[in-house]
Amino acid sequence: MVLGEEQLAAALAREGYFADEGLLTAVHLALRLERPLLLEGEPGVGKTEVASVLSRVLDRELIRLQCFEGLDSGQALYEWDYPKQLLRVRTAESRGQEIGDLYAEEFLLQRPLLRAVRSARGAVLLIDEIDRADSEFEAYLLEFLSDFQITVPELATLRAERPPVVVLTSNRTRELHDALRRRCLYHWIAFPDAERERAILHAHVPGLAEEAARSLVEAVGRIRALPLLKRPGIAESIDWARGAAALVDGGGGWPRALRRALGLLIKDEEDTRLLESRAEEVFGHR
Amino acid sequence: MGAPPNKQADFFRAIAGAAPRDVTALYWYARVTLLSGVTGLAAFDRVFDAWFVRGGALEAAVPPPSDVESEVPAHRDGGGRPQSTVDVRPGSGTEASGLTTTAGRRFGSSDARQRDLMRALHTAWPASLPVIASRRRRPARHGRRLDMRRVWRQARRDGGELTRLRWTTRPPRARRLLLLLDVSGSLRQHTPELVRLAYTARQAARAEVFTFGTRLTRITAALASAHADPALAVVSRAVTDADGGTAIGVSLRRFLANPRFLALARGALIVVISDGLERGDPTPMVRATERLSRLAHRLVWWSPLACSPTYRPVTRGMAGVLRHLDHLGGVRDLATGLSEVERLPAVTAGPRRIAHLKEHR
Repeated sequence: MVLGEEQLAAALAREGYFADEGLLTAVHLALRLERPLLLEGEPGVGKTEVASVLSRVLDRELIRLQCFEGLDSGQALYEWDYPKQLLRVRTAESRGQEIGDLYAEEFLLQRPLLRAVRSARGAVLLIDEIDRADSEFEAYLLEFLSDFQITVPELATLRAERPPVVVLTSNRTRELHDALRRRCLYHWIAFPDAERERAILHAHVPGLAEEAARSLVEAVGRIRALPLLKRPGIAESIDWARGAAALVDGGGGWPRALRRALGLLIKDEEDTRLLESRAEEVFGHR
Repeated sequence: MGAPPNKQADFFRAIAGAAPRDVTALYWYARVTLLSGVTGLAAFDRVFDAWFVRGGALEAAVPPPSDVESEVPAHRDGGGRPQSTVDVRPGSGTEASGLTTTAGRRFGSSDARQRDLMRALHTAWPASLPVIASRRRRPARHGRRLDMRRVWRQARRDGGELTRLRWTTRPPRARRLLLLLDVSGSLRQHTPELVRLAYTARQAARAEVFTFGTRLTRITAALASAHADPALAVVSRAVTDADGGTAIGVSLRRFLANPRFLALARGALIVVISDGLERGDPTPMVRATERLSRLAHRLVWWSPLACSPTYRPVTRGMAGVLRHLDHLGGVRDLATGLSEVERLPAVTAGPRRIAHLKEHR
């Protein structure tokens, strides 16, 4: 069941994720061509969200592999349950029984990649922050990403019946290998434009007034144009809207609430000072 | 920009499956399947524009932008890219107002004395770098954690008995070295020797080397050669702002704005080789140095002016920077470089940010 582009857009929007045309094309092609999708973009732009939303839209299980330096095949693919195997050998000996097959399913600890391959209904596999893993790990991924198969030497080569939908995210702190990039479709997610961000805010912060959303989105747009150390992402602007909405109920106008809730948007001392010095041009008043 | 065959096949499958309704849709189909990184985006846009929008062949093969990246042979990995690639919006470069030269600088060939010093440095660098335990465990004779796989394999061979235990350790690994070399006019006479110093660092350790003057250039890839002189020739072509003006603060800020370069600085031993004479307001330089100091394992500043025993860092720039440094040393050529490299283990072992306390020399 491959969704058409319009249906996909509508389904994502129902879950509160508003993607622009580029991202919709990327997701649609990834589903249609059954290729992994590599998403890059600034932190906070919604790369990880795509996978969770997709799993809800496609009604598939979400399997998440968080990468870090030193991640190895035992933690990502599979591991044999050695203590259990040893205990089986000992108890069989002590009772004088046959040991049986020590490489049966019951002794196999399935880690995320293997679970994704064996998932009956197919899964959405999120490989998060692949740039944090080292290049040795990327080599393990290559066999997996080309054919969606994993070789367990003691058992067999396990092939996925329903290929998982694979989403990889990267923050560009390390250059990924060409071999990995070649196997994936690629998309760079930029910050949304004003209209789209307003739609996102309305979906995630119910009860937000139209005027408030407009001024908030304008302010965020101006803030992102400043030379900050860390530009606020979409999650931060949603938090800011929620915080300001909570404060505005307690009296005081909307602009004042925005100023007070600023800690939800800007999380660095230097950035806060820079913003304070430019408050007038950002908020339109002192 | 080339697209490998399997990516082209993807593109054709995409269009074959469902014909795109308009040029924009075709653009996205092509971009998602053929592009493999945001660095190729500008070239991709130009090619797509020329072919699909204006129709017909490109006027001559679209020449790559006539800046230095295309000249450095066989190094496509973005070495030498001065602008931050985080922001895809155009016009993000802040070209410093200062004299920007475009002629390459000749570094000459190395004489015997220089070659001897470079050999000595070659052994001195790895011995002076601070060490950290690697994140990837390796099998070992002794350790704190069991290697279950090997224990089990051994037990199988011994009939299920645990006869021998196998261990893993985290082997020591040298920390990354980040070298930031000022190539502006005020260091003109020292630049050939300093670039040779950078060359030995690159050969001997896990190092990244950048030069800055009015632009920021990554020369790590350019220095990757078995012999010094060809490497220096490549560098002299890559670095186009040698002997120009000085814009330290802007260059360091540009360095910190790029997430890849920032990741290189994290937990590394950072060595800045510069005289610290900044045109105009030194505040960006001081702020950038403060950030580098927070990111680095140790931040060391080497200045040719500090070779003189009577030097005191009194300019606004150097005075501001001094509190963030772990050591200020005097380096103006290979010999002084060698003695400073040998002093590095003491710096690494010592407390942080004490440069302003030490009586210089």
